[in-house]
Amino acid sequence: MNHENAIHTEGLTKHYGDFPALVDLDLDVRLGEVFGFLGPNGAGKTTTIRTILDEIRPTAGKASILGMDSHEMSVEIRRRIGYVPGDLAMYPNLTGRDTLTYFANLRGGVDWSYVDQLAERLDADLSKKVGDLSSGNRQKVGLIQAFMNRPDVLIMDEPSSGLDPLMQREFQTMMREVAAEGRGVFLSSHTLSEVQRVADRVGIIRQGRLIALESVHELRSKAIRQVRFEFGAPVDPATFEAVDGVRGVTVENNHVLLSFDGRMDALLKAATSHNDILDITSEEADLEEIFLTYYRDEEVSA
Amino acid sequence: MLANIATKTVRDRWKGFAIGSAVIAVILWWGMIIYQDIDLSIYTSMPDVFLSMMNIPPDADVGSLAYGAVYASYGALTLAGLALSVGSSSVAGEERHGTLGLLLGNPKSRTAVLASKAAALVGLTALGALIMWIGALIVPPATGVSVEGMHPNALMLHIFAIALFFGSLAMAISAWTGKQTLATGVTVGAMIVSFIAAGLFPIIEGWEDLRKAVPWYYYDGSQPVFNGVDWGHLAVLGGGIALFWLVAYVGVNHRDLRERDVGTTILDRLRTNPLTRKVIDRLAGSARVSAIWIKTLSDHQALIVVTAYVMGLLAVMMGPLYGLMDEAVLQFAADLPETLVAMVGGADMSTAAGFYQAEIYSLMAPVAVMAVTIVVAAKGIAGEESARTMGLLLGNPVPRRRIILEKTVTMIVGATIVGGVTFVGTAIGNAIGNLDVSLGNIAAISVLVTALGIVFGALAMAISAATGRTKLVTYSTAGTAFVSYMVFAFLPLSEGLAGWAKASPFYYFLGSDPLNNGMPWGHLAALVAMFVALTVLAVMLYDRRDLRQSG
Repeated sequence: MNHENAIHTEGLTKHYGDFPALVDLDLDVRLGEVFGFLGPNGAGKTTTIRTILDEIRPTAGKASILGMDSHEMSVEIRRRIGYVPGDLAMYPNLTGRDTLTYFANLRGGVDWSYVDQLAERLDADLSKKVGDLSSGNRQKVGLIQAFMNRPDVLIMDEPSSGLDPLMQREFQTMMREVAAEGRGVFLSSHTLSEVQRVADRVGIIRQGRLIALESVHELRSKAIRQVRFEFGAPVDPATFEAVDGVRGVTVENNHVLLSFDGRMDALLKAATSHNDILDITSEEADLEEIFLTYYRDEEVSA
Repeated sequence: MLANIATKTVRDRWKGFAIGSAVIAVILWWGMIIYQDIDLSIYTSMPDVFLSMMNIPPDADVGSLAYGAVYASYGALTLAGLALSVGSSSVAGEERHGTLGLLLGNPKSRTAVLASKAAALVGLTALGALIMWIGALIVPPATGVSVEGMHPNALMLHIFAIALFFGSLAMAISAWTGKQTLATGVTVGAMIVSFIAAGLFPIIEGWEDLRKAVPWYYYDGSQPVFNGVDWGHLAVLGGGIALFWLVAYVGVNHRDLRERDVGTTILDRLRTNPLTRKVIDRLAGSARVSAIWIKTLSDHQALIVVTAYVMGLLAVMMGPLYGLMDEAVLQFAADLPETLVAMVGGADMSTAAGFYQAEIYSLMAPVAVMAVTIVVAAKGIAGEESARTMGLLLGNPVPRRRIILEKTVTMIVGATIVGGVTFVGTAIGNAIGNLDVSLGNIAAISVLVTALGIVFGALAMAISAATGRTKLVTYSTAGTAFVSYMVFAFLPLSEGLAGWAKASPFYYFLGSDPLNNGMPWGHLAALVAMFVALTVLAVMLYDRRDLRQSG
């Protein structure tokens, strides 16, 4: 519905002294999508966001939001975005409602019935002083202030930190709704599962460099899992090593632990060829392991 | 572990002590050069009581004058100020930052933490005293000034004791209440009142003995620079310190630790009261956050109200006090030569106007207005960055220059409140005491002191905009203000250097003696021009810089 990009960067680079916090970032975030910006802590996610919002100035390159230059038109940009900073801090002596009123005033007013609706959806208590809230409840106030002016682009730095799982799900629904309305969401996160659930496309950043840009669908096919079997009797590791996508098999008495990124039915078939399976646990491998497995080459070649 | 907490505090704080003390030593060196230019015969016939008020020993010479003027008052106030800032942040500061819980997560008792903080306080105060002491030993031979018969060692010991006294008082309040701001405010108030009372009481007939009730008397009542150590007086201060430590020990162990500090204001209390809720809700809620400058003003309400209140009260009190002053002092003051008068900010104490200028306007009022403007400027930009709220604030469609300008409005409003209340207080004191000072002139000097405070506030704003570092802003602006005062007050004592006084903003505040001569419009225009230039600079610097995310 709108052919301009939500966010566009060209060769965006930021050095802190000699340290390259962000190197040559080329990125396009479209309207109507949730873009997940994934990377381990300290990868340059926050630096990227702060640079495109004109909080800090790029060493080289440029960025635009909704087609407007991020520095020249910074005020106009901020009229049309919602922003949740990372490691959110607010004014401890104001209540949630005071805080929202303050920012609403700076924006020339908001639709308060929408604010109340958001507060209800997130189960936020706006009558307490922000300083007296737990970090999750404080985060809700931060989310409401970002959503309340129905921004064209939402830029959020680790926004779900501190939220309980139920609220995380509600928040993800809210992000999907924003994208469905043709608006854009830029979501930085260090948790793969969150990004997988909500994003359409994912950019992966590591040591200041964008090392992959792909759809969540592709990424999911790369999702490594840590699988642990417990058997009633000792087993032969060779049974598992033969399965496609299995690596790093370790056997300890009756326990088998392996990394796996293939088809689950093949693995299960191999496992059930032994009798006496007592237990199976399967969990998502952490991001770092995915990087080490898949993106080592990109990093070296970059 | 205990040593680690203490050494960490020392590591965080030693620079402030080193720089503060070194500045005092440099000013001593400077003072001695200037004092050599002065004709000292003027001191020979002064009444003791007047000299004691100005910390000048009866048989003054260059050395003791410099020690008296520079070390005994400014030096002691500086070191005590540094010590009380360490004392007030000792326990409450860690609570405010939410780090005390972390600290006590280690196998250390509250008492051990307190003991480490106390050890750091003693060490830091000793460091400052040591640097000043080295200055006191080196400067006289370097400038060729004889300090024979002086007791710099005794003076330094007394300064160390009074600084530790106020540092410990702040620590006691900090440990007992967990409120850093309260500890700082109360201790600064106690120190200033004590300093003024020790100077004023001796010159008011019948009140001479009252000075023995204030701590400052036990610091310089015996004139240690001239008479050597007074162990009795030091014992009194020592007793006070021991008492404060005991209070701190009991206090920190008996109470619940606070989490991150969320202050409760009077408005908040009224807001929860059903009777007043409706009106106050508007005032404390929607009205308070209706604009950046109003919210900032609300954030500083306590500072502004307390400062204005204290200034107003002092200004009212001075009227009737003037009538109580010893006739002999007044007569004598009338005959003082001009060069000496310059030392108390150019005030002729024999007239009511001069008395008001010396007691209220030359030092107290500028300090009060600047306390507000510098704090508003430092917290306004650098403070929001170190609290990490600036990113959120600038997530809204407001240009950076608007943040600077709105915070500047707050600064001006705060300064005007303090200056205005000082004016009203002085006008009332003037009326009660039947002093005949022109109301128009009181208004003129009040406007000027407000403008002076705003100039230094704008300097603080520019540094805040350029660096984003709260402590740097506060220390460098306060330091510049202090040096400016010295330039204005002391350079005119030396003929060759007198012209340089015009480089100081203080010259445009007091240089024309506005309390006697009325408003110097040209000087006011000069102050306004400085303010405008600094504000433009602040806007430009802030537009250019990367925002900081932490202090």
